[in-house]
Amino acid sequence: MTGAAQPALEARGLVKRYGGLDVLSGVDLSVHTGEVLALVGPSGCGKSTLLGILSGLLSADAGSLDVAGVPARCFAQWQRIAYMFQEDRLLPWRSVRDNVALGLEGQGLGRAQRAQRVDEALRMVGLLHVADAWPHELSGGMRSRVALARSVAVLPAVLLMDEPFSKLDPQTRAQMHAQLLRIHAGSGTTVVFVTHDMEEAVVLADRIVRLVPSPGRIAEVIELGDLPRPRDPVAQGVAERVRDLRARMVMGPEGLQ
Amino acid sequence: MKPLHTLARGAMASLAGQRLALAGALVLLWWAGAQGMPSFVLPGPSRVLQALEVLWHSETFTRDVLATCRRVLAGLGLAMLVGTLAGLALGASRALARFFEPVLAVFNTVSSAIWAIFAIIWFGISDATTVFVVFMTAMPLILTSVWQGAQAVEPQYVDLARSFRLSRWQILRKIHAPSILPHFFSGARLAFGFGWRVSLVAETIGASDGIGYRLRQAADLVQTDQVFAWTVLLVGLMLLIEGGVLKPAERRLFRWKSASLAPPSSHAGRRAAAVSQPTES
Repeated sequence: MTGAAQPALEARGLVKRYGGLDVLSGVDLSVHTGEVLALVGPSGCGKSTLLGILSGLLSADAGSLDVAGVPARCFAQWQRIAYMFQEDRLLPWRSVRDNVALGLEGQGLGRAQRAQRVDEALRMVGLLHVADAWPHELSGGMRSRVALARSVAVLPAVLLMDEPFSKLDPQTRAQMHAQLLRIHAGSGTTVVFVTHDMEEAVVLADRIVRLVPSPGRIAEVIELGDLPRPRDPVAQGVAERVRDLRARMVMGPEGLQ
Repeated sequence: MKPLHTLARGAMASLAGQRLALAGALVLLWWAGAQGMPSFVLPGPSRVLQALEVLWHSETFTRDVLATCRRVLAGLGLAMLVGTLAGLALGASRALARFFEPVLAVFNTVSSAIWAIFAIIWFGISDATTVFVVFMTAMPLILTSVWQGAQAVEPQYVDLARSFRLSRWQILRKIHAPSILPHFFSGARLAFGFGWRVSLVAETIGASDGIGYRLRQAADLVQTDQVFAWTVLLVGLMLLIEGGVLKPAERRLFRWKSASLAPPSSHAGRRAAAVSQPTES
Protein backbone atom coordinates (compact mmCIF):
# COMPACT_ATOMS: atom_id res chain seq x y z
CA MET A 1 0.00 0.00 0.00
CA THR A 2 2.82 2.38 0.86
CA GLY A 3 5.58 3.65 -1.32
CA ALA A 4 3.49 5.24 -4.08
CA ALA A 5 5.36 7.98 -5.87
CA GLN A 6 3.13 10.81 -4.77
CA PRO A 7 1.16 11.13 -1.54
CA ALA A 8 -2.58 11.62 -1.96
CA LEU A 9 -2.52 14.32 0.70
CA GLU A 10 0.52 16.05 2.12
CA ALA A 11 0.04 18.41 5.07
CA ARG A 12 2.91 20.47 6.45
CA GLY A 13 2.87 22.51 9.65
CA LEU A 14 -0.93 22.79 9.92
CA VAL A 15 -2.02 25.17 12.69
CA LYS A 16 -5.59 25.88 13.75
CA ARG A 17 -6.62 28.11 16.64
CA TYR A 18 -10.07 28.70 18.12
CA GLY A 19 -9.85 31.72 20.39
CA GLY A 20 -6.69 31.26 22.43
CA LEU A 21 -6.78 27.49 22.06
CA ASP A 22 -4.31 25.65 19.82
CA VAL A 23 -6.48 22.91 18.36
CA LEU A 24 -3.72 21.92 15.97
CA SER A 25 -0.13 22.99 16.44
CA GLY A 26 2.09 22.22 13.51
CA VAL A 27 0.79 18.92 12.19
CA ASP A 28 2.76 17.16 9.44
CA LEU A 29 0.95 14.29 7.79
CA SER A 30 1.47 12.42 4.57
CA VAL A 31 -1.39 10.22 3.38
CA HIS A 32 -0.23 7.58 0.89
CA THR A 33 -2.25 7.00 -2.23
CA GLY A 34 -4.60 4.05 -1.81
CA GLU A 35 -4.10 3.51 1.91
CA VAL A 36 -6.68 3.42 4.69
CA LEU A 37 -5.66 5.79 7.46
CA ALA A 38 -7.34 6.12 10.86
CA LEU A 39 -7.16 9.22 13.06
CA VAL A 40 -7.68 8.39 16.74
CA GLY A 41 -7.26 10.27 19.99
CA PRO A 42 -9.22 11.66 22.93
CA SER A 43 -11.79 14.45 22.54
CA GLY A 44 -10.19 17.80 21.83
CA CYS A 45 -7.08 16.40 20.12
CA GLY A 46 -8.10 18.05 16.87
CA LYS A 47 -8.72 14.94 14.77
CA SER A 48 -12.05 16.21 13.39
CA THR A 49 -10.49 19.61 12.76
CA LEU A 50 -7.63 17.94 10.88
CA LEU A 51 -10.13 16.02 8.76
CA GLY A 52 -12.06 19.25 8.13
CA ILE A 53 -8.91 20.96 6.87
CA LEU A 54 -8.03 17.99 4.65
CA SER A 55 -11.52 18.24 3.14
CA GLY A 56 -11.32 21.95 2.49
CA LEU A 57 -14.41 22.65 4.61
CA LEU A 58 -12.17 24.33 7.20
CA SER A 59 -9.15 26.48 6.50
CA ALA A 60 -5.92 26.29 8.47
CA ASP A 61 -4.43 29.35 10.16
CA ALA A 62 -0.95 28.33 9.02
CA GLY A 63 0.73 25.53 7.12
CA SER A 64 0.20 24.08 3.69
CA LEU A 65 -1.71 21.23 2.13
CA ASP A 66 -1.01 19.53 -1.18
CA VAL A 67 -3.63 17.38 -2.86
CA ALA A 68 -2.00 14.92 -5.26
CA GLY A 69 0.98 17.23 -5.43
CA VAL A 70 -1.04 20.35 -6.17
CA PRO A 71 -1.29 23.13 -3.54
CA ALA A 72 -4.81 23.13 -2.08
CA ARG A 73 -5.51 26.74 -2.93
CA CYS A 74 -7.54 25.64 -5.94
CA PHE A 75 -9.67 23.35 -3.79
CA ALA A 76 -13.00 24.48 -5.16
CA GLN A 77 -12.05 23.00 -8.52
CA TRP A 78 -10.72 19.82 -6.97
CA GLN A 79 -13.81 17.65 -7.08
CA ARG A 80 -12.51 14.26 -6.16
CA ILE A 81 -12.44 14.50 -2.39
CA ALA A 82 -15.62 13.14 -0.79
CA TYR A 83 -16.51 13.82 2.82
CA MET A 84 -18.77 11.57 4.84
CA PHE A 85 -20.31 13.23 7.86
CA GLN A 86 -21.10 11.69 11.21
CA GLU A 87 -24.82 11.98 10.40
CA ASP A 88 -26.11 10.60 7.13
CA ARG A 89 -27.50 14.02 6.10
CA LEU A 90 -29.85 12.62 3.48
CA LEU A 91 -32.00 15.38 2.04
CA PRO A 92 -35.57 14.49 3.04
CA TRP A 93 -37.11 16.00 -0.10
CA ARG A 94 -35.04 13.86 -2.46
CA SER A 95 -35.55 10.20 -3.24
CA VAL A 96 -32.69 7.81 -2.48
CA ARG A 97 -31.62 7.98 -6.13
CA ASP A 98 -31.56 11.77 -6.18
CA ASN A 99 -29.70 11.89 -2.88
CA VAL A 100 -26.94 9.74 -4.32
CA ALA A 101 -26.86 12.02 -7.38
CA LEU A 102 -26.24 15.18 -5.34
CA GLY A 103 -22.45 15.08 -5.56
CA LEU A 104 -22.57 14.38 -9.29
CA GLU A 105 -24.67 17.43 -10.02
CA GLY A 106 -21.68 19.67 -9.51
CA GLN A 107 -19.62 17.74 -12.05
CA GLY A 108 -21.32 18.64 -15.30
CA LEU A 109 -22.15 15.06 -16.29
CA GLY A 110 -24.87 14.18 -18.75
CA ARG A 111 -28.15 12.85 -17.41
CA ALA A 112 -27.58 9.31 -18.66
CA GLN A 113 -24.05 9.15 -17.34
CA ARG A 114 -25.21 10.44 -13.97
CA ALA A 115 -28.00 7.87 -13.75
CA GLN A 116 -25.52 5.12 -14.56
CA ARG A 117 -23.09 6.23 -11.84
CA VAL A 118 -25.93 6.45 -9.31
CA ASP A 119 -27.11 2.95 -10.15
CA GLU A 120 -23.57 1.61 -9.85
CA ALA A 121 -23.09 3.22 -6.45
CA LEU A 122 -26.42 1.93 -5.18
CA ARG A 123 -25.63 -1.56 -6.44
CA MET A 124 -22.30 -1.40 -4.63
CA VAL A 125 -24.05 -0.89 -1.28
CA GLY A 126 -26.83 -3.32 -2.23
CA LEU A 127 -29.65 -0.78 -2.24
CA LEU A 128 -30.61 -0.53 -5.89
CA HIS A 129 -34.04 -1.96 -5.03
CA VAL A 130 -34.94 1.04 -2.83
CA ALA A 131 -33.70 3.68 -5.28
CA ASP A 132 -37.12 5.30 -5.49
CA ALA A 133 -37.88 5.29 -1.76
CA TRP A 134 -37.84 8.39 0.42
CA PRO A 135 -35.14 8.63 3.12
CA HIS A 136 -37.68 8.53 5.96
CA GLU A 137 -38.75 5.10 4.81
CA LEU A 138 -35.29 3.58 5.42
CA SER A 139 -33.66 2.14 8.53
CA GLY A 140 -30.59 3.77 10.08
CA GLY A 141 -28.26 1.23 8.52
CA MET A 142 -29.78 1.69 5.08
CA ARG A 143 -29.50 5.45 5.41
CA SER A 144 -25.79 5.08 6.20
CA ARG A 145 -25.34 2.94 3.13
CA VAL A 146 -27.07 5.55 0.98
CA ALA A 147 -24.70 8.16 2.42
CA LEU A 148 -21.76 5.89 1.55
CA ALA A 149 -23.14 5.42 -1.97
CA ARG A 150 -23.47 9.19 -2.33
CA SER A 151 -19.80 9.57 -1.39
CA VAL A 152 -18.46 6.84 -3.67
CA ALA A 153 -20.67 7.90 -6.60
CA VAL A 154 -18.35 10.83 -7.28
CA LEU A 155 -15.51 8.29 -7.69
CA PRO A 156 -13.42 10.07 -5.09
CA ALA A 157 -9.66 9.81 -5.13
CA VAL A 158 -9.83 10.48 -1.39
CA LEU A 159 -12.71 9.55 0.90
CA LEU A 160 -12.74 11.38 4.23
CA MET A 161 -15.04 10.08 6.97
CA ASP A 162 -15.85 11.63 10.34
CA GLU A 163 -17.02 8.80 12.60
CA PRO A 164 -19.45 7.74 9.91
CA PHE A 165 -20.62 4.51 11.54
CA SER A 166 -20.63 5.60 15.18
CA LYS A 167 -24.41 5.79 15.39
CA LEU A 168 -25.04 2.30 14.07
CA ASP A 169 -25.54 -0.87 16.08
CA PRO A 170 -22.47 -3.19 16.21
CA GLN A 171 -23.81 -5.68 13.70
CA THR A 172 -24.70 -3.04 11.10
CA ARG A 173 -21.37 -1.36 11.73
CA ALA A 174 -19.53 -4.61 10.95
CA GLN A 175 -21.49 -4.90 7.70
CA MET A 176 -20.56 -1.33 6.80
CA HIS A 177 -16.88 -2.12 7.46
CA ALA A 178 -17.00 -5.09 5.10
CA GLN A 179 -18.77 -3.01 2.48
CA LEU A 180 -16.30 -0.17 2.78
CA LEU A 181 -13.30 -2.51 2.47
CA ARG A 182 -14.83 -4.17 -0.58
CA ILE A 183 -15.36 -0.79 -2.24
CA HIS A 184 -11.85 0.25 -1.27
CA ALA A 185 -10.36 -2.90 -2.73
CA GLY A 186 -12.29 -2.38 -5.96
CA SER A 187 -11.51 1.30 -6.46
CA GLY A 188 -8.16 1.97 -4.83
CA THR A 189 -9.63 5.04 -3.17
CA THR A 190 -7.55 6.59 -0.42
CA VAL A 191 -9.54 6.55 2.83
CA VAL A 192 -8.96 8.73 5.89
CA PHE A 193 -11.36 8.35 8.80
CA VAL A 194 -11.78 9.58 12.35
CA THR A 195 -12.97 7.12 14.96
CA HIS A 196 -13.39 6.65 18.70
CA ASP A 197 -13.70 2.93 18.21
CA MET A 198 -10.25 1.26 18.51
CA GLU A 199 -11.57 -1.99 17.09
CA GLU A 200 -12.85 -0.13 14.02
CA ALA A 201 -9.43 1.50 13.60
CA VAL A 202 -7.55 -1.82 13.75
CA VAL A 203 -9.99 -3.71 11.51
CA LEU A 204 -9.97 -1.09 8.76
CA ALA A 205 -6.69 0.81 8.75
CA ASP A 206 -3.29 0.30 7.17
CA ARG A 207 -1.93 2.97 9.50
CA ILE A 208 -3.27 4.59 12.63
CA VAL A 209 -2.37 8.17 13.50
CA ARG A 210 -2.75 8.82 17.22
CA LEU A 211 -3.24 12.46 18.21
CA VAL A 212 -2.99 14.02 21.68
CA PRO A 213 -4.63 17.24 22.88
CA SER A 214 -3.52 20.63 24.25
CA PRO A 215 -2.03 21.49 21.94
CA GLY A 216 -3.36 19.09 19.32
CA ARG A 217 -0.50 17.19 17.70
CA ILE A 218 0.47 13.78 16.37
CA ALA A 219 1.87 11.52 19.09
CA GLU A 220 2.70 8.52 16.92
CA VAL A 221 1.90 6.68 13.72
CA ILE A 222 1.18 2.96 14.14
CA GLU A 223 1.78 0.63 11.20
CA LEU A 224 -0.70 -2.21 10.72
CA GLY A 225 0.52 -3.32 7.31
CA ASP A 226 1.80 -6.59 8.80
CA LEU A 227 -1.65 -7.59 10.03
CA PRO A 228 -3.28 -9.92 7.44
CA ARG A 229 -6.71 -9.18 5.98
CA PRO A 230 -9.58 -9.78 6.31
CA ARG A 231 -9.33 -8.94 9.98
CA ASP A 232 -11.77 -10.60 12.30
CA PRO A 233 -12.07 -8.48 15.45
CA VAL A 234 -12.11 -11.59 17.64
CA ALA A 235 -9.04 -13.19 16.01
CA GLN A 236 -6.13 -13.20 18.41
CA GLY A 237 -3.73 -11.00 16.42
CA VAL A 238 -6.37 -8.35 15.86
CA ALA A 239 -7.63 -8.37 19.43
CA GLU A 240 -4.04 -7.96 20.65
CA ARG A 241 -3.51 -4.86 18.52
CA VAL A 242 -6.81 -3.41 19.77
CA ARG A 243 -5.70 -3.96 23.39
CA ASP A 244 -2.31 -2.44 22.62
CA LEU A 245 -3.94 0.60 21.01
CA ARG A 246 -6.24 1.12 24.00
CA ALA A 247 -3.23 0.94 26.31
CA ARG A 248 -1.33 3.48 24.23
CA MET A 249 -4.32 5.84 24.48
CA VAL A 250 -3.95 5.76 28.25
CA MET A 251 -0.22 5.33 28.80
CA GLY A 252 1.46 6.71 25.71
CA PRO A 253 3.78 5.00 23.17
CA GLU A 254 5.17 2.50 25.73
CA GLY A 255 1.81 0.78 25.65
CA LEU A 256 1.81 -2.69 27.10
CA GLN A 257 5.57 -3.12 27.20
CA MET B 1 -59.26 -7.11 9.87
CA LYS B 2 -60.40 -4.92 7.02
CA PRO B 3 -57.81 -3.88 4.47
CA LEU B 4 -56.62 -0.37 5.08
CA HIS B 5 -57.84 1.19 1.85
CA THR B 6 -61.45 0.04 2.23
CA LEU B 7 -61.39 1.35 5.76
CA ALA B 8 -60.21 4.71 4.47
CA ARG B 9 -62.82 4.66 1.73
CA GLY B 10 -65.54 3.96 4.28
CA ALA B 11 -64.39 6.87 6.41
CA MET B 12 -64.33 9.11 3.33
CA ALA B 13 -67.86 8.12 2.38
CA SER B 14 -69.12 8.77 5.88
CA LEU B 15 -67.43 12.18 5.88
CA ALA B 16 -68.98 13.06 2.53
CA GLY B 17 -72.37 12.02 3.91
CA GLN B 18 -71.92 14.27 6.91
CA ARG B 19 -70.95 17.19 4.71
CA LEU B 20 -74.01 16.67 2.49
CA ALA B 21 -76.26 16.51 5.55
CA LEU B 22 -74.74 19.72 6.89
CA ALA B 23 -75.26 21.53 3.58
CA GLY B 24 -78.85 20.24 3.41
CA ALA B 25 -79.58 21.40 6.96
CA LEU B 26 -78.18 24.87 6.25
CA VAL B 27 -80.22 25.25 3.06
CA LEU B 28 -83.31 24.09 4.95
CA LEU B 29 -82.67 26.61 7.72
CA TRP B 30 -82.16 29.32 5.11
CA TRP B 31 -85.39 28.37 3.37
CA ALA B 32 -87.37 28.34 6.64
CA GLY B 33 -85.91 31.71 7.68
CA ALA B 34 -86.75 33.25 4.31
CA GLN B 35 -90.41 32.22 4.63
CA GLY B 36 -91.22 34.87 7.22
CA MET B 37 -89.11 37.69 5.81
CA PRO B 38 -89.40 40.14 2.92
CA SER B 39 -87.14 39.07 0.06
CA PHE B 40 -85.02 42.22 0.15
CA VAL B 41 -83.89 41.22 3.63
CA LEU B 42 -83.44 37.47 3.15
CA PRO B 43 -84.26 36.01 -0.25
CA GLY B 44 -85.00 32.28 -0.30
CA PRO B 45 -82.83 29.65 -2.00
CA SER B 46 -84.97 29.39 -5.12
CA ARG B 47 -84.93 33.14 -5.65
CA VAL B 48 -81.14 33.25 -5.28
CA LEU B 49 -80.84 30.39 -7.75
CA GLN B 50 -82.88 32.40 -10.25
CA ALA B 51 -80.69 35.47 -9.66
CA LEU B 52 -77.62 33.30 -10.17
CA GLU B 53 -78.94 32.15 -13.53
CA VAL B 54 -79.69 35.71 -14.62
CA LEU B 55 -76.23 36.73 -13.48
CA TRP B 56 -74.59 33.87 -15.36
CA HIS B 57 -76.21 34.97 -18.62
CA SER B 58 -75.68 38.70 -18.15
CA GLU B 59 -73.37 40.52 -20.58
CA THR B 60 -70.90 41.80 -18.02
CA PHE B 61 -70.52 38.58 -16.00
CA THR B 62 -67.39 37.21 -17.67
CA ARG B 63 -65.80 40.65 -17.81
CA ASP B 64 -66.43 41.26 -14.09
CA VAL B 65 -65.03 37.91 -12.98
CA LEU B 66 -62.00 38.26 -15.21
CA ALA B 67 -61.37 41.84 -14.04
CA THR B 68 -61.32 40.74 -10.41
CA CYS B 69 -59.15 37.70 -11.17
CA ARG B 70 -56.72 39.86 -13.11
CA ARG B 71 -56.35 42.33 -10.23
CA VAL B 72 -55.97 39.62 -7.61
CA LEU B 73 -53.38 37.75 -9.67
CA ALA B 74 -51.43 40.93 -10.42
CA GLY B 75 -51.38 41.88 -6.74
CA LEU B 76 -50.43 38.37 -5.66
CA GLY B 77 -47.77 38.04 -8.35
CA LEU B 78 -46.12 41.26 -7.28
CA ALA B 79 -46.44 40.26 -3.63
CA MET B 80 -44.76 36.91 -4.31
CA LEU B 81 -41.91 38.52 -6.21
CA VAL B 82 -41.23 41.28 -3.69
CA GLY B 83 -42.05 39.16 -0.64
CA THR B 84 -39.76 36.32 -1.73
CA LEU B 85 -36.82 38.57 -2.58
CA ALA B 86 -37.20 40.61 0.61
CA GLY B 87 -37.70 37.48 2.71
CA LEU B 88 -34.53 35.94 1.25
CA ALA B 89 -32.61 39.15 1.92
CA LEU B 90 -33.78 39.27 5.55
CA GLY B 91 -33.02 35.57 5.92
CA ALA B 92 -29.51 36.07 4.56
CA SER B 93 -28.60 38.99 6.81
CA ARG B 94 -29.36 39.10 10.52
CA ALA B 95 -28.46 42.80 10.69
CA LEU B 96 -30.85 43.64 7.88
CA ALA B 97 -33.60 41.62 9.56
CA ARG B 98 -33.11 43.37 12.89
CA PHE B 99 -33.23 46.74 11.18
CA PHE B 100 -36.41 46.10 9.20
CA GLU B 101 -38.39 44.07 11.72
CA PRO B 102 -40.42 47.08 13.03
CA VAL B 103 -41.53 47.92 9.48
CA LEU B 104 -42.97 44.44 9.18
CA ALA B 105 -44.85 44.89 12.46
CA VAL B 106 -46.36 48.12 11.14
CA PHE B 107 -47.39 46.41 7.90
CA ASN B 108 -49.09 43.67 9.85
CA THR B 109 -51.12 46.03 12.04
CA VAL B 110 -52.45 48.34 9.31
CA SER B 111 -55.89 47.17 8.23
CA SER B 112 -56.64 46.45 4.59
CA ALA B 113 -59.46 49.01 4.79
CA ILE B 114 -56.87 51.71 5.53
CA TRP B 115 -54.75 50.60 2.57
CA ALA B 116 -57.90 50.82 0.46
CA ILE B 117 -58.51 54.41 1.53
CA PHE B 118 -54.90 55.34 0.77
CA ALA B 119 -55.22 53.60 -2.57
CA ILE B 120 -58.30 55.68 -3.47
CA ILE B 121 -56.42 58.84 -2.58
CA TRP B 122 -53.35 57.85 -4.58
CA PHE B 123 -54.75 55.91 -7.53
CA GLY B 124 -58.43 56.90 -7.73
CA ILE B 125 -60.83 54.57 -9.49
CA SER B 126 -58.47 52.25 -11.34
CA ASP B 127 -57.00 48.75 -11.43
CA ALA B 128 -54.04 50.01 -9.44
CA THR B 129 -56.22 50.60 -6.37
CA THR B 130 -57.24 46.96 -6.04
CA VAL B 131 -53.82 45.65 -7.03
CA PHE B 132 -52.23 47.86 -4.39
CA VAL B 133 -54.55 46.69 -1.60
CA VAL B 134 -54.02 43.02 -2.50
CA PHE B 135 -50.27 43.59 -2.65
CA MET B 136 -50.10 45.34 0.73
CA THR B 137 -52.11 42.56 2.34
CA ALA B 138 -50.37 39.61 0.72
CA MET B 139 -46.76 40.78 0.60
CA PRO B 140 -46.05 40.78 4.39
CA LEU B 141 -47.52 37.28 4.69
CA ILE B 142 -45.22 35.92 2.00
CA LEU B 143 -42.23 37.88 3.26
CA THR B 144 -42.69 36.50 6.79
CA SER B 145 -43.04 32.92 5.57
CA VAL B 146 -40.01 33.06 3.29
CA TRP B 147 -37.97 34.74 6.00
CA GLN B 148 -38.87 32.03 8.50
CA GLY B 149 -38.11 29.40 5.88
CA ALA B 150 -34.71 30.95 5.15
CA GLN B 151 -33.88 30.84 8.85
CA ALA B 152 -34.90 27.19 9.03
CA VAL B 153 -32.47 26.01 6.34
CA GLU B 154 -30.26 23.29 7.88
CA PRO B 155 -26.61 24.44 7.95
CA GLN B 156 -25.71 20.74 7.90
CA TYR B 157 -27.19 20.37 4.43
CA VAL B 158 -25.34 23.46 3.23
CA ASP B 159 -22.07 21.94 4.49
CA LEU B 160 -22.93 18.71 2.73
CA ALA B 161 -23.40 20.55 -0.56
CA ARG B 162 -20.18 22.47 0.03
CA SER B 163 -18.31 19.22 0.65
CA PHE B 164 -19.29 18.20 -2.87
CA ARG B 165 -17.98 21.53 -4.16
CA LEU B 166 -21.35 22.69 -5.44
CA SER B 167 -21.30 26.34 -6.43
CA ARG B 168 -23.04 29.04 -4.41
CA TRP B 169 -25.83 29.21 -6.96
CA GLN B 170 -26.24 25.42 -6.95
CA ILE B 171 -26.44 25.38 -3.15
CA LEU B 172 -29.11 28.08 -3.27
CA ARG B 173 -31.09 26.05 -5.80
CA LYS B 174 -30.60 22.57 -4.40
CA ILE B 175 -30.59 23.20 -0.64
CA HIS B 176 -32.17 26.57 0.14
CA ALA B 177 -35.00 26.53 -2.38
CA PRO B 178 -36.44 23.10 -1.42
CA SER B 179 -36.07 23.94 2.29
CA ILE B 180 -37.92 27.23 1.91
CA LEU B 181 -40.60 25.97 -0.49
CA PRO B 182 -43.00 24.53 2.14
CA HIS B 183 -42.86 27.81 4.06
CA PHE B 184 -43.39 29.81 0.89
CA PHE B 185 -46.30 27.64 -0.07
CA SER B 186 -48.12 28.03 3.24
CA GLY B 187 -47.54 31.79 3.09
CA ALA B 188 -48.75 31.99 -0.50
CA ARG B 189 -51.90 30.04 0.35
CA LEU B 190 -52.68 32.38 3.18
CA ALA B 191 -51.93 35.39 0.99
CA PHE B 192 -54.24 34.03 -1.68
CA GLY B 193 -57.13 33.72 0.78
CA PHE B 194 -56.66 37.16 2.26
CA GLY B 195 -55.83 38.84 -1.04
CA TRP B 196 -58.95 37.49 -2.68
CA ARG B 197 -61.18 38.75 0.13
CA VAL B 198 -59.66 42.22 0.39
CA SER B 199 -59.81 42.65 -3.38
CA LEU B 200 -63.61 42.75 -3.08
CA VAL B 201 -63.44 45.42 -0.41
CA ALA B 202 -61.12 47.47 -2.60
CA GLU B 203 -63.39 47.04 -5.61
CA THR B 204 -66.48 48.22 -3.76
CA ILE B 205 -64.89 51.65 -3.42
CA GLY B 206 -62.19 51.82 -6.07
CA ALA B 207 -63.41 50.20 -9.28
CA SER B 208 -66.05 50.55 -11.97
CA ASP B 209 -66.27 46.86 -12.74
CA GLY B 210 -65.38 43.55 -11.11
CA ILE B 211 -67.16 41.39 -8.56
CA GLY B 212 -66.77 43.83 -5.66
CA TYR B 213 -68.21 46.67 -7.72
CA ARG B 214 -71.24 44.56 -8.74
CA LEU B 215 -71.76 43.53 -5.13
CA ARG B 216 -71.95 47.13 -4.01
CA GLN B 217 -74.15 48.05 -6.95
CA ALA B 218 -76.58 45.27 -6.07
CA ALA B 219 -76.58 46.36 -2.44
CA ASP B 220 -77.22 50.01 -3.39
CA LEU B 221 -80.18 48.95 -5.51
CA VAL B 222 -81.40 46.63 -2.73
CA GLN B 223 -81.08 43.63 -5.05
CA THR B 224 -80.38 41.35 -2.13
CA ASP B 225 -80.89 38.21 -4.22
CA GLN B 226 -78.01 39.30 -6.45
CA VAL B 227 -75.76 39.89 -3.45
CA PHE B 228 -76.55 36.37 -2.34
CA ALA B 229 -75.96 35.02 -5.83
CA TRP B 230 -72.47 36.59 -6.00
CA THR B 231 -71.68 35.25 -2.56
CA VAL B 232 -72.68 31.71 -3.50
CA LEU B 233 -70.60 32.03 -6.63
CA LEU B 234 -67.54 33.22 -4.73
CA VAL B 235 -67.76 30.48 -2.13
CA GLY B 236 -68.05 27.90 -4.89
CA LEU B 237 -65.08 29.34 -6.75
CA MET B 238 -62.91 29.39 -3.64
CA LEU B 239 -63.75 25.79 -2.76
CA LEU B 240 -62.96 24.79 -6.33
CA ILE B 241 -59.54 26.48 -6.29
CA GLU B 242 -58.72 25.13 -2.85
CA GLY B 243 -59.71 21.55 -3.62
CA GLY B 244 -58.84 21.50 -7.30
CA VAL B 245 -55.55 23.38 -7.40
CA LEU B 246 -53.98 24.15 -4.03
CA LYS B 247 -54.54 20.86 -2.18
CA PRO B 248 -53.36 18.65 -5.06
CA ALA B 249 -50.38 20.94 -5.67
CA GLU B 250 -49.40 20.70 -2.01
CA ARG B 251 -49.77 16.93 -2.00
CA ARG B 252 -47.61 16.62 -5.09
CA LEU B 253 -44.92 19.06 -3.93
CA PHE B 254 -44.57 17.65 -0.45
CA ARG B 255 -45.15 13.96 -1.04
CA TRP B 256 -41.73 13.28 0.50
CA LYS B 257 -43.12 14.06 3.93
CA SER B 258 -44.26 11.09 5.94
CA ALA B 259 -47.56 11.20 7.75
CA SER B 260 -45.68 10.92 11.04
CA LEU B 261 -43.61 14.03 10.39
CA ALA B 262 -45.34 17.26 11.35
CA PRO B 263 -45.07 19.53 8.32
CA PRO B 264 -42.85 22.49 9.24
CA SER B 265 -45.11 24.74 7.20
CA SER B 266 -48.21 24.33 9.35
CA HIS B 267 -46.58 26.00 12.32
CA ALA B 268 -45.36 28.97 10.32
CA GLY B 269 -48.76 29.22 8.67
CA ARG B 270 -50.55 29.41 11.97
CA ARG B 271 -48.14 32.01 13.23
CA ALA B 272 -48.48 34.12 10.13
CA ALA B 273 -52.26 33.80 10.42
CA ALA B 274 -52.17 34.97 14.01
CA VAL B 275 -49.97 37.92 13.13
CA SER B 276 -52.16 39.01 10.27
CA GLN B 277 -55.50 38.62 11.99
CA PRO B 278 -56.13 42.37 12.32
CA THR B 279 -55.62 42.92 8.59
CA GLU B 280 -58.62 40.88 7.61
CA SER B 281 -61.53 43.11 6.81
